[in-house]
Amino acid sequence: MRKLVLAAFLALGLAACATNPDGSKLSADDEESKLEYYNRAMFNFNYQFNKKVMKPVARGYRSVTNQFFRNRVSAFFNNLEEPAYFINNLFQGEIKNSGISVGRFLINTTLGLAGTFDVAAGWGLEKKKNSFDQTMAKYCVPDGPFFILPIVGPATPRYVAGWTADAYASPLFWALIDVENDGVDAAVVGATALKYINIYAENEGLIESLEEGSVDFYATMKSAFLQNRQKFISLCGTEDVENDTLSYDFDFGYEDAFDEEME
Amino acid sequence: MQKILTFIMTVFLLAAGSAQAEVDASKAENFIKKVTTQGIEEIINSDVSAEEKDARFANLFNEYLDLDFIGRFVLGRYWRSSTPKQRTEFIDVYREMNIKTWSKRFDEFKGKTFVFKGTTPSNSAGQIFVNTEVPMEQGAPAKVVWRVKENDGTFKVVDIIIENVSLAITARNEYAAYIKKSPDGVDGLIANLRQKSMQ
Repeated sequence: MRKLVLAAFLALGLAACATNPDGSKLSADDEESKLEYYNRAMFNFNYQFNKKVMKPVARGYRSVTNQFFRNRVSAFFNNLEEPAYFINNLFQGEIKNSGISVGRFLINTTLGLAGTFDVAAGWGLEKKKNSFDQTMAKYCVPDGPFFILPIVGPATPRYVAGWTADAYASPLFWALIDVENDGVDAAVVGATALKYINIYAENEGLIESLEEGSVDFYATMKSAFLQNRQKFISLCGTEDVENDTLSYDFDFGYEDAFDEEME
Repeated sequence: MQKILTFIMTVFLLAAGSAQAEVDASKAENFIKKVTTQGIEEIINSDVSAEEKDARFANLFNEYLDLDFIGRFVLGRYWRSSTPKQRTEFIDVYREMNIKTWSKRFDEFKGKTFVFKGTTPSNSAGQIFVNTEVPMEQGAPAKVVWRVKENDGTFKVVDIIIENVSLAITARNEYAAYIKKSPDGVDGLIANLRQKSMQ
């Protein structure tokens, strides 16, 4: 079933590619502009998908839920990510943090009513977010080119690899491979859909205001996504998670040097 | 005697040089405290009309942001190839567009507070980063860093970095992509921004 859905999305993506001559000035003669041509087409497809599917769904979801309920949903899904934080903290030698992740998961899953309340944070056990993406960055795995995934949006190969690896650590995945129970598969698909609808519903305002001020929304999203990933760059080959060079401390005065760096 | 004079002068020059490069961290932090307090208390949380809020925000924006400096960076390599008229026009519409889009986002900041987390030096002379966090209802606080530039004792904001994303770099990348594709170049960008600021 999932393969079918994926195939359908890929087909849609390719169709969007073929029928979108919008970026007409782009010559498809080098790899980079070919990739950009695909990216812009897929970005437009996702944009339409969000507008025509996600937006009405999120609107409906918001009308039948209140903020309290949506906070519980966010907390529930955040809690399911703790096992991935644990493993990656461990991989990166952050033993104390990985202990905190285990503690948080145990406390919040039980006393926090299946993770819907973050009681551990109230006890001073703050979340120690981590990811396989960051683990790979720490072991100097290159990020690869920027591209747009169907539905999911901005990505790089390392981002996708990290995301996939972390999904294996999620209790949602453990539930999925429990083949004894036929109902579970649909429940997991439903839960995943709920997760993304909830995220979209909570961030719709932000997405819209970003778009409002933008003259090239694709370029805006690409720039923001890649800048956010700069924080990983300094991890490679260093012991310290807190680095000393700030990714956003570009030289404000000397524009030429900056251009060469970024392009 | 002459040697002593030279020595004294050298010391003075060195002292002046380093004073110019190093920004007073506590002054820079106080400046951002003033900006955020004014923004939240006197505009976002206040009980005045929407028009009054917009007007107050426009004042705040013009007073505390160095738009000429930011605009110049944001236009990047196209700044140099632009005519003086294009430059002035660009700065104007960039200002208008920013005031307009930020005004619409007031509600998102209602009841929010900024927690100050010290400063970080910048590699650029006369600039410093003021670190703040905005506690969120759900999840981790949002990281907001203010890039502050000092000029003869006057402080100005030159960039705001939200969760590692610099608004200046984002705009610069976005406008470069737009100008590259637009048949009208910088004029096309100016026209588009003007339209956005009038919506």
